[in-house]
Amino acid sequence: MTMAMTNPAVRRRRRQRAFRVAAVGRWAVTAALVMVAVAALYPLLFTVVNSFKSRAGYAQNPLGLPDGISFDNYVETFIRMNVPRLLLNSVVTTLGGLLLSTIAALFIAYAVTKLRIRFGNLLFLFVISMLVIPSQVIIYPLYETILNLGFGNSYSGLILAYAAFGLPMSTYLLVAYFRAIPDELIEAARLDGAGELRILFQILLPVSTPAIAAMSILNFVWMWNDLLLPLVIMGGSDNTTLMVGVALLSGQYDVSIPLVSAGLIVALLPVIIIYFLFQRQILNGAISGAVK
Amino acid sequence: MHSTAHQATARQKARRGGSGLRPSLFLVGLLVLPALILAVVFKLVPLVRAFWLSLLKTQGFYDPTFAGISNYRSMLRDPMFEDAFRNALMVFLSLPVWVFMPLVIALLLFQRTPGWKFFRAAYFLPYMIAPVVVGIMFRQILSPDGPLNAMLISIGLAPLAIEWLNGPNSALFSLTAVALWSFFGLGVLTYLSGLSTVPQEVVEAARLDGAGFWRLLFNFALPLIRPVVGYWTVLCMSGMLIWMFPLVYALTRGGPGSATMMPEYLVFITTFEFLNRGKGAAIGMALFVFVAFISTFVVRQMYREGRGRQP
Repeated sequence: MTMAMTNPAVRRRRRQRAFRVAAVGRWAVTAALVMVAVAALYPLLFTVVNSFKSRAGYAQNPLGLPDGISFDNYVETFIRMNVPRLLLNSVVTTLGGLLLSTIAALFIAYAVTKLRIRFGNLLFLFVISMLVIPSQVIIYPLYETILNLGFGNSYSGLILAYAAFGLPMSTYLLVAYFRAIPDELIEAARLDGAGELRILFQILLPVSTPAIAAMSILNFVWMWNDLLLPLVIMGGSDNTTLMVGVALLSGQYDVSIPLVSAGLIVALLPVIIIYFLFQRQILNGAISGAVK
Repeated sequence: MHSTAHQATARQKARRGGSGLRPSLFLVGLLVLPALILAVVFKLVPLVRAFWLSLLKTQGFYDPTFAGISNYRSMLRDPMFEDAFRNALMVFLSLPVWVFMPLVIALLLFQRTPGWKFFRAAYFLPYMIAPVVVGIMFRQILSPDGPLNAMLISIGLAPLAIEWLNGPNSALFSLTAVALWSFFGLGVLTYLSGLSTVPQEVVEAARLDGAGFWRLLFNFALPLIRPVVGYWTVLCMSGMLIWMFPLVYALTRGGPGSATMMPEYLVFITTFEFLNRGKGAAIGMALFVFVAFISTFVVRQMYREGRGRQP
């Protein structure tokens, strides 16, 4: 220490070395991050590239870039899979599940946090504790229950199942959010004679858009991507969602890899579009709200 | 002042069963029933029915008959059941990787490495892709003449270019690796949101004091985000038991043999392919015990954050 103080040359050299070590470290970190990014992006890139190859072109050159871009695989995907119908099924069931679970969660979150009801905490605990029952464990009895209610092979059956499975997390997010909204706001509205439903929809709803947006993105992604529930509840052929359709397409014996790749791109395009549109919200805390 | 006194009497009244300021029964019903019905009819009732079903002997189209615990007995004798839970245990052994790899990446990004926003977006992309799509994609990438083996051969690691999805050990390893690929981005984002609560001034001050990366890590970052690490660990543990279904379905179908059989997939094929619904339900109940035990920790945390302060 004292030597370094007395000898500026040594000090400079030491600082230079520290700087060089830091620079090397920074390069190593960047290189590692780039490698992880390549690993994260390559499979998607590989699939996109393959989806534009012809069957013969893929056989000759499975790994490189295609000679020309061919949309034949997309055309055939549309012929084999009835994409418009499956897309409609996915959109209707996902939006239906989203809407129903959001409304049910909004209602119960309001009742539990802003109304003086008995057993409010117990109700809240009951709803979120449904999280411990995953669909994989109860899949057949769930299917049986939906059949008994007359919702088998229908949009409503899948919508109700989606709503029930999205409910615990949605309720938790909204309850946590509503707790932070001061009660005075609601008391004032009540003194003005506003009904409870009007308070919920005209005062609380606008204030909690961030929480609802976060919740909706979260629910959209898992509902759109889910395989087991639509596979069991909706049955096969045209009467199912895009994810089940692409899983069944990939299982056909005569499909080529370029064709399956095109099917995969069609199936995941909506989610990718959502990701690009709402990237900021998703990455800056939409999910972090859920995963505290 | 007046209004709080009023509330207190109302609460007393409510406790005594009087109506007071309590909202009307109709309103409470309207608000509470949708969620309650969804939770009871589509989760609780199926769970109870699953337990009942696990006690029945189901044979094709015959009416099921009560069979006591014979499904559980036959389940315990089934080597497939043993394999499924042993495989789940093997996957559990990779838990440290699931917990620490995203943590390290998040810490590197938290240093505001140039381009960290791009990296963050790239790492989260796999999580957005449906697991069944991920499975089909990797079936191609991991195939013997797929790009992974081509790359290994081209960099001189030909002995490593094996049949990833076809070896008894490599198949389970590949399945776990693909699952990790699919979920690590969620971990990175989880940790980043935890790290964002670390005040930047504290970090700057420590850095001006000459604290290096490791000291920053152990003295500031880790203690502050310990709850997040705990949360993510629990999430991974329950996820390893229930996230794998679409991956197994698309990648290996439990094979080769039963090398990648997972409990959740076994429930599915026992019920829908072997058509033994009673035994499928019994395996489901066995899986439920594990999942419920683990996710109770998540629910407890959620309850603590969301419960009201009133008695």
